[in-house]
Amino acid sequence: MTEITLEVNGVTKTLDVEPRRLLADVLRQEFDLSGVHIGCAHGACGCCTVHLDETPRLSCLTFAVQCDGSSIKTVEAMGGPSADHLLQQAFKSEHGLQCGYCTPGFIMTLAPFVDEAIASRRMPENDEIREAMSGNICRCTGYHGIVAAVRKAIGSGLGENA
Amino acid sequence: MVVKGEPMRPASFEYHRATSLEHALELLSQFGDDGRPIAGGQSLVPMMNFRLARPGHLVDINKLPIAGIEVLGKTLRIGALTRHEAYFGNPLIARHFPAFLDAVHYIGHPTIRRNGSIGGSISHADPTAELPAVAVLHDADIVVRSTAGERRIPATEFFLSAYVTALEPGEMVVAVELPLPPETSTGSFIELGERSGDFATASVGITLEHDGSAVTKAAMVCSGADLFPIRAPEIEDFLAGQPLIDPKAKEAGQLFAESIDPVDDHIASADYRRGLIAQLTQRAITTACTRALGKK
Repeated sequence: MTEITLEVNGVTKTLDVEPRRLLADVLRQEFDLSGVHIGCAHGACGCCTVHLDETPRLSCLTFAVQCDGSSIKTVEAMGGPSADHLLQQAFKSEHGLQCGYCTPGFIMTLAPFVDEAIASRRMPENDEIREAMSGNICRCTGYHGIVAAVRKAIGSGLGENA
Repeated sequence: MVVKGEPMRPASFEYHRATSLEHALELLSQFGDDGRPIAGGQSLVPMMNFRLARPGHLVDINKLPIAGIEVLGKTLRIGALTRHEAYFGNPLIARHFPAFLDAVHYIGHPTIRRNGSIGGSISHADPTAELPAVAVLHDADIVVRSTAGERRIPATEFFLSAYVTALEPGEMVVAVELPLPPETSTGSFIELGERSGDFATASVGITLEHDGSAVTKAAMVCSGADLFPIRAPEIEDFLAGQPLIDPKAKEAGQLFAESIDPVDDHIASADYRRGLIAQLTQRAITTACTRALGKK
């Protein structure tokens, strides 16, 4: 067992973990963050994406021991139970989700992309949006709704009428 | 400790965080076959989750200062911890290595490219991975170290089979060095997989030197034709002297396809792969020649 300290969604906790435990499992089991979904456990589906020190990272390909001293953010910290983050609201209105299993991963992958587009004051092409989310698999929506949601979130961030 | 029926995906191992390259090499020498360095973990951790790899010791090298892309004399040296996304927007890669830059676009997806490292990709030696193919195409040297010292292994001798390399127990890749090509050189890399970011079904890379109207020297690599990326010396000879405007790309593709014996698997039959590789060869040559004409 190895002692590690993680700051997860603003809460700091010190715990003992076996080195073989994946960050995804530790977030789900020790932090009760069930929004961290595990789809494939080998880096193909993107469901388990979280932010490690502010950048998207696949938590199924990360051992919790590697994250000692790091700051982690999960979908729970985006818009809370009412899901009121700009991108979550856009997913809702643009049919960006259906069963919802992949949604936390999409939100965590795309939120920094949306922030960056807004900061650089530029609406990306659809191809760029599709490239940005190419590591996330959705089996329900056919992706059109997700692309529309990203455009809507960036558009509202840029002050355009959606 | 098993809590609430939690899954235990990888087998047990001990975790060590290396504080310096010397420290990492000491640990790897101590553990031998049972130790593996871990950087981005984008290839090693999936193998561990499936228990296809069961190292007893992981040596975390993420804090070591061995990342970076720099010109050293007549070579481009890429530190083992360089993450794949670093090649985008790098002026040295854009200027000297167009085939390399093409290839990077096919590596996984943005999250994987942000975390995966060249040392990891080279050591993992997936038969269809892009960076091993790029290293073979460019006659790179793989620079490896152990407590016994450093050795340089030509990429063409480094990849021995699928997931099998010339690395000895206790050795670690510290850099990949590519000879800088002449100014007139250009190239291209093309790959087909089932979906964007998937493992390649096959890929072909080409580099060309030329005199403005004809090819003077060519190199070609192919993944998917064998269990590791292979060069195509007969096509390299065939292309030398061909005009840039009509380099007989289709003929080259057919000639190469006839010479290979690709694998038959659940993704594609050997016949399909052979046809695909003929097409990819044709397209890679055409693109490289078009670029050469634009560059003169």
